[in-house]
Amino acid sequence: MNENDKIELLKDILFSDEHEFEKKIAQRVTFLEETIQKPTKLAEKVNPLITDQINDFKNSIPETLGPTITETLKKQIKINKDAVVEALYPIMGKMVKKYVAQEMRLLSEKMNSQLSFLSLGKTKFKSFFTGKKKEGLVFESLNSAKIEQVLLIEKDSGILKASYAKTKTIDEEMVSGMLTAIKSFVEDAFNAKNQNLELIEYELYQIHLESFATHYVAIVISGNFSLGAKNKLQDIIFNFYNSFMAMNVDLVFQTKNSQNSITPVNKATIEKELLKHFKNAKL
Amino acid sequence: MQSSKKIVVLGHFGVGKTSLIRRFVTDAFSDNYKVTIGVHITKKTVEISAENNVSLILWDLEGTDDIASLRKSYLLGAHGIVFVFDVSRPSTFQDLNDNLAIIRSNLPYVPLMVVGNKADLVEEHALKNVIEAQEIAVDFIASAKTGKAVNALFLKLATLLTTNA
Repeated sequence: MNENDKIELLKDILFSDEHEFEKKIAQRVTFLEETIQKPTKLAEKVNPLITDQINDFKNSIPETLGPTITETLKKQIKINKDAVVEALYPIMGKMVKKYVAQEMRLLSEKMNSQLSFLSLGKTKFKSFFTGKKKEGLVFESLNSAKIEQVLLIEKDSGILKASYAKTKTIDEEMVSGMLTAIKSFVEDAFNAKNQNLELIEYELYQIHLESFATHYVAIVISGNFSLGAKNKLQDIIFNFYNSFMAMNVDLVFQTKNSQNSITPVNKATIEKELLKHFKNAKL
Repeated sequence: MQSSKKIVVLGHFGVGKTSLIRRFVTDAFSDNYKVTIGVHITKKTVEISAENNVSLILWDLEGTDDIASLRKSYLLGAHGIVFVFDVSRPSTFQDLNDNLAIIRSNLPYVPLMVVGNKADLVEEHALKNVIEAQEIAVDFIASAKTGKAVNALFLKLATLLTTNA
């Protein structure tokens, strides 16, 4: 062993800890280099940080930007009143028009019932001329609307999600498809965007259709489906929507392409809710 | 498990869409040709396995020579498509690839089956030549009249839909 070898040996003994440390630093540097140079590895480290930042930013929006946005909107609305009215008119105008028309018809129905003392004489008069019994005519007027069947249908595909029926008749899945086809055809044919087919009548029955974002409810009604009955039915449907449908993401939003896995509400649960809301409903 | 799937059947006039569906649903065939107006909907439940059934809701669309003019709302929400052409009438498959591209642009991720119907009218070797010459990717050569490949077609589609679900 010469002098140099001895020095090397001595170095090894004296600096063994430093060697280990140096080795670890070299490994760390290599790892960092790899992380920086390879996009996938860098993304693994950086993405969670970015996501956290975005989430923090999102959460802070109401506090930090909220007042500014509100103030800006107020100013813009004041400056561009006409443009706002033009933008909102197609939506609001339609809603107001529909509401006023419905309320006017309701008022007219109420006035008719207020003048019911006249209807007694009318019934006698009608009975005299038609030869029908008075009881029969009164029964006819008392023939109130009844819910026969309720179908909850996917708007695009026409697939039946669930149903409630007093008595099962023809295949409900085919009926759902056909109703959807009719609905699509009519809505396409009139080429009026954001308008929905609301009623189909056939002899003794009427089918009321209430559309939501991704689904619609079809309700088969028998009897005299007056405007008052329609109002009550809409209240029942909206109550069903608010207390059940709105609580289930897959019944309110388009979840087909969603990145988060959403468990759809099962048929039995929907049918239970339909039964609860519609079975004993009085129109 | 039971699920429902919307299947849209489309193609040119008189290629036998309704006949294929009738053969599949009721196992019947009629030479009496009736034009489909708008859409006709039927249903058949297919058993994939002992505990897996699929209800196929079949939307039989009226025939059209211009696929681009199809009512798009009928295609909405479709889970599967069956494009039918008539192997005995070149005019129904000459623009097949263009027609398929139009369908694909509307429903990019939906399984699509291309079916040549009326195989009973053309001899097999002649059929092969025609298809090869046109460079058509055909999934099934079927015959609603004889029943050839009809069940296999819908079973394959149903299986595909349950495995993709």
